[in-house]
Amino acid sequence: MSEANGRVALVTGAASGIGAAISAMLAERGWRVAGLDLNASATELSLEADVADRAAVRAGAERASQELGTVSLLVTAAGRYEMVPIADIDVERWRTMLAVHLGGVVNACWAVVPGMLRAGSGTIVTISSELALAGGAGDAHYCAAKGAILGFTRSLGLELAAHGIRVNGVAPGPTDTPLLAPDSPWRAPEYLKTLPLGRLVRPDEVAETVALLVEEGGYFAGQTLSPNAGAVI
Amino acid sequence: MRARFEGRRALVSGAGQGLGRAIARRLAGEGARVAVNDREHSAGVDAVVAETRGVAAIADVSNPDAVDGMVAAVDSELGGIDVLVANHAYMSMAPFVEHDPGDWWRNVDVNLSGTFFLVRAVLPAMRRNGGGRIVIIASEFGVVGWENATAYAASKTGLIAFTKTLGRELGPEGIGVNAIAPGIMDTPQLDVDAADAGVSPEEIRRRYAAETPIGRIGRPEEIAAIAAFLASESSTAFVGQIVQPNGGTTRGLA
Repeated sequence: MSEANGRVALVTGAASGIGAAISAMLAERGWRVAGLDLNASATELSLEADVADRAAVRAGAERASQELGTVSLLVTAAGRYEMVPIADIDVERWRTMLAVHLGGVVNACWAVVPGMLRAGSGTIVTISSELALAGGAGDAHYCAAKGAILGFTRSLGLELAAHGIRVNGVAPGPTDTPLLAPDSPWRAPEYLKTLPLGRLVRPDEVAETVALLVEEGGYFAGQTLSPNAGAVI
Repeated sequence: MRARFEGRRALVSGAGQGLGRAIARRLAGEGARVAVNDREHSAGVDAVVAETRGVAAIADVSNPDAVDGMVAAVDSELGGIDVLVANHAYMSMAPFVEHDPGDWWRNVDVNLSGTFFLVRAVLPAMRRNGGGRIVIIASEFGVVGWENATAYAASKTGLIAFTKTLGRELGPEGIGVNAIAPGIMDTPQLDVDAADAGVSPEEIRRRYAAETPIGRIGRPEEIAAIAAFLASESSTAFVGQIVQPNGGTTRGLA
């Protein structure tokens, strides 16, 4: 792969779960992938950084551009999850949740959108959550942060549409990743029975949805697609 | 291009022109045997049958008996039905109180009831296979409404609720049901919009492109790619979803 074909992707949260599945899918389809994560990722260029740290994300994106070529695709999959009753969500937990999710998306966009504007093209896919649509008991801070990504995606999608940059999102249902602890209520048979598919979403199903948006999603702008096993219809 | 439909059999309604033709071509291009439905024989149907190496499946979808007969013939000719794309549509526009009631109901009979008749008819074949994928073509008009299109919009919003309900109902048995609510597309249906607005087809295309955030209207081939996604194993986690490729005109849930 040469730089000339412009298939350079920056994927946040690339070390595990959905981000890892997306990175693998992109690599398989000929993309050069820089994976930005707190941990090392199995990508062509592993960038260990915190998405909540704007300067670190910018530096990572610059390294990706220098070593792989101008970033033409950004996928923001970094996230954290914890269920906490509202009274126990202290300021620190609240700020951390917003910083990682909304901050992670906006920091990455700040880092790559100028280059995409110069190129007159680009693709951004944000990973939100079915919980942002439906809400969840004990999920107030997570849903506020993921919901903010929905609004951000719709607005950036509208704003950048005329510049040839397509911004869309994916709101997966509960997905079988390390983010869901083995004893997570989302893994409980009683919960899974409430889903029309009766099972968790697989990371590769989220990756396939990203593939559609990236490779054949030219008429999507500001949309959010929901591979969610029927959790929100 | 991948070949996700190798060995699969697909019925596409309203496939003699426009979006249906693009969908039939896409599915065939990925290996599907395609049954090309339209309400009557035409040069368009012949052309699509030829280019997809498919079979013609003529029936007016608003006639349940005709649909039953057509689907039985397709089932036997292709040896099963794995995919249904309900793409057919009838659209007429008029200010609500001036809309002839018979013609008003024709929108609903074809778009909403026609889809019901098709789904009802293909279900036994899909159940026999232990699963299937159903893709329903709704419309942005059914999401946001449209002046002078009460009948069409009502039929399409009905399809959205139908899709959500059927998704819940059939998901557990391995039949995926989802819909696409496209925005403006470059198809012959734009002639209806042009006539309603009293402008040329070229002018309506220019106007709609200018009103679309990405600055152009949709191409049938790009909607067909999304239909292929929803008709394939790529979208197994989608249940009762309404996917909205529209160039950014609306960005919320349907």
